Formats: sequence, structure tokens, C-alpha cells
Amino acid sequence: MTTTATAPAVSAQRTPTARPTSRFRREGVVKAMFLAPAALYILLFFGYPVVKNLVMSFQEYTTKTFFTGEAPWVGWENYATVVNSGLFWPAMLNTALFTVGSIAGQFVIGLALAVFFRRRFPLSGFLRAMLLLPWLLPLIVSSATWRSILDQDSGILNEFLASVGLGAVPWLNSPDVALIAVILVNIWIGIPFNVTILYGGLQDIPEELYEAAALDGATGWKSFWHITLPNLRPVINVVLVLGVVYTLKVIDIILGLTNGGPANATQTIAIRSYQSSFVDFEFGVGAAFSNILILISLVFAIFYLRGNRKQVDE
Amino acid sequence: MTTMAIVTDGAAKRRATRRSGRDILFTALGVAFLAIMLFPVYWMFNASLQPSGNTLTASLLPLNPSFAGYEKAFADQGPNLVTSLVISVGTVVFSLAIAAPAAYALAQFRYRWINVALLAVLIAQMIPGVVIANALYAAYNDLGMLNSIPGLILADATHAIPFSIMILRAFMMSVPPSIIEAARVDGAGHVRAFWSIVLPVAKNSLITAGLFAFLFSWSDFLFALTLTTTDDITPVTLGIYQYLGTQVANWSAVMATAVLSSIPAIVLLVIAQRYIAAGATGGAVK
Amino acid sequence: MRTRKTLITLVAGAAVLPLALAGCGGGGSASSGDPDTLTILDYYNNEPDKTLVQDLLDQCAADIDVTIERESVPGKDLIQKVLQRSSSKTLPDVLMLDNPDVQEIAATGGLAPLSDFDVDTSGFAQGILDAATYDGEVYGLAPVVNTLGLFYNVDLFEQAGLQPPTTWDELKETAAVLTSGDQYGIAFSAIATYEGSWQFLPFMWTNGGDETDLQTPENAEALQLWVDLVGSGSASESVINWSQGDVKDQFVAGKAAMMVNGPWNIPALNETDVNWASVQVPVNKVGQTPVAPLGGEVWTVPQTGDKAKQAKAAEFVECMSGDDIELQAAESRFTVPTRTDLIPEYVEKVPSMEAFAEQVVNARSRTGELGEDWPEQATVIYNAIQLALTGKATPDEAFEQAAKG
Repeated sequence: MTTTATAPAVSAQRTPTARPTSRFRREGVVKAMFLAPAALYILLFFGYPVVKNLVMSFQEYTTKTFFTGEAPWVGWENYATVVNSGLFWPAMLNTALFTVGSIAGQFVIGLALAVFFRRRFPLSGFLRAMLLLPWLLPLIVSSATWRSILDQDSGILNEFLASVGLGAVPWLNSPDVALIAVILVNIWIGIPFNVTILYGGLQDIPEELYEAAALDGATGWKSFWHITLPNLRPVINVVLVLGVVYTLKVIDIILGLTNGGPANATQTIAIRSYQSSFVDFEFGVGAAFSNILILISLVFAIFYLRGNRKQVDE
Repeated sequence: MTTMAIVTDGAAKRRATRRSGRDILFTALGVAFLAIMLFPVYWMFNASLQPSGNTLTASLLPLNPSFAGYEKAFADQGPNLVTSLVISVGTVVFSLAIAAPAAYALAQFRYRWINVALLAVLIAQMIPGVVIANALYAAYNDLGMLNSIPGLILADATHAIPFSIMILRAFMMSVPPSIIEAARVDGAGHVRAFWSIVLPVAKNSLITAGLFAFLFSWSDFLFALTLTTTDDITPVTLGIYQYLGTQVANWSAVMATAVLSSIPAIVLLVIAQRYIAAGATGGAVK
Repeated sequence: MRTRKTLITLVAGAAVLPLALAGCGGGGSASSGDPDTLTILDYYNNEPDKTLVQDLLDQCAADIDVTIERESVPGKDLIQKVLQRSSSKTLPDVLMLDNPDVQEIAATGGLAPLSDFDVDTSGFAQGILDAATYDGEVYGLAPVVNTLGLFYNVDLFEQAGLQPPTTWDELKETAAVLTSGDQYGIAFSAIATYEGSWQFLPFMWTNGGDETDLQTPENAEALQLWVDLVGSGSASESVINWSQGDVKDQFVAGKAAMMVNGPWNIPALNETDVNWASVQVPVNKVGQTPVAPLGGEVWTVPQTGDKAKQAKAAEFVECMSGDDIELQAAESRFTVPTRTDLIPEYVEKVPSMEAFAEQVVNARSRTGELGEDWPEQATVIYNAIQLALTGKATPDEAFEQAAKG
């Protein structure tokens, strides 16, 4: 990571006898070498599981399969099972609400805190480092801790609400509130991620821009709208898209807090996928659910790339 | 801990001296934000010191602290913390080594199929961990990579690599091509330009990506659970999980382990913070 | 700048570690080549059970002269591990299964019938044999079983001058009287997992309800009882998220005067200063027999392909259900021996287990009627409970609505 390191021996030095064409070709090889390791890794560690999952979703893949190795082909039957199950559409709606709610909260609060921390003040670095703590807790511990905080009868949050004269909220016990509670916890988990990435982006906006703008009388909100946001756009895009993609597949926090309940109020497509595979041991159905999830993410990804294409082509 | 000392920007220095009153206000605000955000963490710490081992009767302050939970946690989970640390550091090194060159290529080279490559990186992020874990189990089983540190490093990197490529690319897009062009005119190849020009400029983003790679790996639970079949290698998340039984849970020991598992990462964060603050990229682009 | 240097050295130093350790990874093979070593897989990964079971295993290992390699995984993951290992042909020589899972695993062909090794299966409580039977063959033996009963806080009952309830009406009255402030009358687990279904069964079965047809007045009546307890405020609305461990925590913290729970909590209860006692689960109408579900783990012999080792493993399973081991397991772990002729002797030794020992005689296994189809119905049961307790459906409609899931 040091800047004084000497160039590695692999440098593409021009040999004096090289013809232009081969030089051109060698340049292509060097360029490809930059991508090759990542491409190989993605093929092995993502491509292979996706293909396997696709295949599995067209098979009757149950506990027996593990012993006998037999998984008969059933065509689209698993997908029919999924779409016709009573929980499919509620789970779709919950997935949408959970994703939109989580992303909105994480991003707005995350950006506000990132901007706040950009002003250097005593302890700011230390405070910002500490902000990452929610990320460090193993999720299994976070959800246990939150469950005790959100407990309807003896949780500290309801005790606090009572002390300021509000009634107890059935955070995890009411089908009408549980999804909100789960979203709040997920926002809490996602804030550090947003702050860190957005702060990194803010750091890379040259100070000179702000100084020049200040000379023109643009400070505060004005400079935020005209300098910060436009310069931050690539990073914001990444944060939002990653946020959506990560939130769509959240399972551990929901499993830990509500297990998809009460009365299936917090069932999402990801939870359905997990429960089909690891509670009912219907791996084919679980695979069908996760493929639907991947498909939904894919739609987002294509939108994102559409928006990005302009930038790439510039 | 102030970062003021390392700021090289003269203007910022001047402003800083003018604003000492506001500084205090901002610090107070920052502390308040942090207090709200970290309350659950405090609650965990509080629970770890409760004598009864029962979260339900926890008082607001650990007035009668009991360290029994910590004694048990140290005895049981000490080696697991080391395992987690080794795996996490390994994941950081491996992920950055794979992701940084790829991010540079995707940011600065003109490939005809760049959108396909980006789409692949994006799709990679979308695949639920359970899907990957299932497939990896079968593959690892044939390759004899279950219960191995390299196996877990490679698996944990699935969290970090696509993410790092996206983040690093977003930052490297902002490196002016002119700098790289200039270097190449001087006779340096792509590799050299990347190594001695781009990486130093992108230092901040490397640290950001590295931090997240560390955190992803540190908090991974799914792969720890699915890719180990014996007790030989137990990351700390799995250790905590095994504490949480269906029938009897020793809460103070669980929470103590959670607190301990946060400590190495906190230390790393504090060190890295100073490092990030030291490398203001503004200086490099001149 | 000093800090930068040190960080770099730190990172660089740490980076070498994984490489140095790279050679230490083992393969996934479970069964060791040594003919005198048996590999064992169970889910007793928590103390005190972990150590207590280890002690029993060691005794049997000495008894039949083998060495053992034991692995304990969390309960939730046992089946997943079994599936993984069966697909990779690394099943353990001796496998512990929770009794409702035995038929499903036996149906896959992964287990050896005990008759292959001439294991004597007479003298055991019928309920647990049923659970371990698939297609007329017995696939495993359970040394001890547990069931559900009603625990109550003796001090609170004495202060209020109450007797432990024996009927549902008494249960509701008692619970109402004992509800005050942050103390509820009763706690039970109505969580949306098999645990919730298991806790509901004593009420359902005692009332004559049955899992083969869930949409019956008997089942609705049992569900109505739970709805009444929560609706009247005698039980917390949080029961829908409580595991049985959470229920025990509530009871220990003095936030519940009674709880539906099993004897595996007794070691933990005895470590607290709660003065507790237990009775059988109350019945709806006088004259009904309390029927509770049988819980407990069955030791089985997986098909590993190594016949000689399987015979050794069967011997080991038989030893684990010998008289002395059963009694020792029952005493140390507060469970009930499955050899029915041991029960009187056992109750004499551990009087606090009397209520549970009585329950076991009439207890039913969850898979006795439906076999491998039980999990599907269990899912309907817990979903119906959730719908009814959150007011999304009346007890009459809940089972029908849940079946559409």
C-alpha cells in the first residue's frame, strides 16, 4: 500500500523488436489481466451457485434427494406452488415495503450524518469510527438485544415511552406494527454503511470547489445542492443500488426478531425462500423463491445500468 | 484524537481557529447522535454484566457488575476470536487483491462489454447467501475444503469482492484520466500506472472497502455455519450461536462474547480512522 | 506518519498468517478409518446436557470397548447437517435425532432398521417406539423422554391462597387472580415454529382434538382457551414471539406465575431462588385424561455402508438404553426413563418429576398418526395460533385460514 513501492516485474515493457500490432495485442492482454482474477472468482463463486439453483428449481428436491441422489424433473411445478401459495402476494408486498422503508431511512439519515461529520470538529474522527459499531455486532446478537429492547411489557423502549406519557406499543406482537419495527432495526443496522460510503465520497470532493463557490456566495444549503449532490452522484447511485440489493435478501434480522411472524406479517420473499428450504426441506420450492428474488433484483440492476450508461459513454 | 493536526489544508486551519465555540457545539451534537445510535450496544454491554444472566430483570445501569459472563466467554471463545481475526484479515487482503485491479479496469479502460461486466458484478450481489452456501458446500466437500481457513476466506470474500469492485470503481471514476495518461506518456505500463499512481490516489476508498471487507467477514455467520462440519474451526459468530441454545441460554456469557467480539474491530477502526484522515486525496490531484 | 508505518506492518504481518495456516484445513470426512472408533452426532450443545450426555456416552464406549468422536451442533441445524453429510457420504456411525424427525429421515433410506442387528425393543413406552417406527420397522431407541406440564410459582400461589388448577376454567380464574402489574398469570410459547405447535398439543389432544382433521370444534375450543388467556390480559401478547426458553426466563424473572414447559428447565430453575412445583396440564372437562406430546431424542444407526461398524453402533445404541444408563440419564437430566418398569423406582428417587412421569404414560408421539406428514400439519397449527392470537381470525376460522398458507 505504500506509494514508494517499485513497479512489479510484470510491467508491460516494450521490447524494441515488437511490431505495432503485437504491441496492441499485448496491451489487450494486460488489460484483460486486470479483470481476469475477478472474472474467474465471480464465475466460480456466483455463477456456479446460480446455475445450480436454477436447475434445482425445476426439480423435486427434498430430503430424500440427499440420500438417494435422485431429483426428478418437475418442470414449472415449483414455481406454480410458489405463486399459488396464499403467502406469495403478501410476501411480495412486505418485501417492497421493507425495502423502500429501510433504504429511505438509511440513506437520508446516513447522508445527513456524513455531511455533519464532514465539518471537522474535536473528536469527529473518533465519533465516526464508533458509529460503525452497530455493524460489528453479530446479527444474531443484535436481534436478541433488540428483542429485549422492543419487548412490549418490560422492554426499555416502551418504558421510555411510558415515562414521557405515551402508551406501550406492541412492537413485535401486532401484525400491524411488526413490519415497522423490523424496518426500524434494519435502518439502524444500515446507517453505518451509508455514512461510511457517503463520507468517503464527500472526502473526495475537492475543497477548492467549495472555496470557489463560497466566493460566489454559495454556502450551506446552496453549496449542498449545487456542489455536494452533483459530485456525489456516482457514490449515491452505488449506495442506493447496493442498499436495495442487500435489503431484498435480508433474512437473519427478520428471522431473529419475528421469524416472519406475527401471523406472517413480516414474511418476505427471502424469508419464504429460507423457510421453504430449511424448515420444510422443500429445496426445489426454496430455489424457486430465491430465483424470483434474484429476478426482482435484476430489474433494479438494469434500471441502474441504464442510468449509468450515459456516464460510461461520456 | 482530533484530526486537526494532520490537516494540510491552510484554509481549513484558518477556519478552525475561528470556530472553537461552534466546535464544542458540534462535538456535543455528535456525541448525542452517537449515544442514540449506540444505545443498543450499551444495552448489550449492560446485559453482559448482569449477575442473574437474565435480560428481563436488567437494570438501567450495571450497578452490581458480575464478570462471571466474561470469565466464561474468555475461556470458551478466546481461540474463536483469533480464528475470526485470521479469517477476516485474510478476506481483506484477498478481496482487495482481486477487486482493486478489476475496479480500475472497469473505471478507466474502454471495454465494449463494460455493461455486461458491471451487470455481472451487480448480479453477484443479488444472490442470497443461502444459495451460495448450498452450492459451496457440495463443491468444498469434493475438494476437501470444508473446515478450512482458506475455504472460509474464499467464501467470505463473496460478501466483499463484488461490493469492493462497485465501491472502488465509483471512486476510481473520479481519478482524472489525464493523470494516468501523463504517467503512460512517461513510459510506464498499465500495471505501473495502476500501482504507483492510481492506488495511492484511491487510498481512501481502498481503506473503506477494506474496512467493509473486514466487517463483512467478521460478522459472517452463514458460511461459518454451513461450511464447517466439525469443531476444528469455529469463528466467533458460530461460537455465540452455539451459546444460544433452544433450551438454556446463559445470557451474560452470550453478551460478554458479543462485547469481546467487538473489541478487535473497534481497535482496528480507531487506528484506521487516523489513517484515513491523514490521506486527503485533494493533495494528490495536483 | 509513524502510525501509518505501524499499520502497514500490522496488516502485512497479519496477511501472512492465513497463508501459514493454509495447510491446516481438514477434509470433510466424518467416519474415521479406525474400526474401533465410532463417530457420534447429536444436538446437546448446551450445558449441562452437553457434559451429562458425554458422561453417558463415555460409559457406553468403555462398556463395548470403542473410542468415540462426538460432535454436537445446535438443535436447529441438526437436520441440515444430517442432509449435508448424507449427500457427501460422511454420515456419523451413531446419530441422535429428535423423535418427530426419525420417520422423515428413515423414509429417505438413510437409517438402518434395528432388527438388522437383533436389537431387543421390548419394554419401552409405546409412544416413543411409535415415533421411531417407520413401515413397521423400529429405527432407534430413546433412553429418556420428556413432555409438557404446568409449572407454578409456589410462593405466589400461597400468598393468594390458591391451589394449582386442574381444569381450564380454574386455569383462567387462577391466571386472572395472579395477574397484576408486570406479573402475568401464565406464560406459554405460541411462537410460529414447531415449538408453538408442540406447546399447543396438550390442550388440543386432551380436549379430544386430533391432527388428522384440524378443523374441528375440539381444536377450536383449545385455541379459544389461549385466545381468552391473552385477550383477558392473563397472558402477555408477546407469547406469539416467545420460545420456550423465553417462557422460562419470564417465569424466573417473576413475570409469570405459571408456565407451560418441560422438565429440561428444572436444572436451570433449581439454580434460581424461585420456589416452583409442577402439575399435569389442566383438562377442559373433569374426567378427561391429560394427553401430552412426547419429547425426546432417539439414537439411530445411519446406513454408512460399513456393516461391521454399524453392528458396533447398534450395540452402542442398545447400551444407551440399558437400565442403569436410563436411570442415570433420567436423574441427572430431569427426564423420564422409557423403560416403563423403571418409572416407579425413578419417581421415588426424584419426587419433583412425578407429574411428568404420570404424563408420559399417556403421552403421544407427534408422528404416531401422520408419520412424515406431521410437519405440514404442525405448520398449519402454529399459523392458526398466530392468526387467532393476533385477532386476524376467530378460533373457528383460524385452522381453515391457516391451511391455505
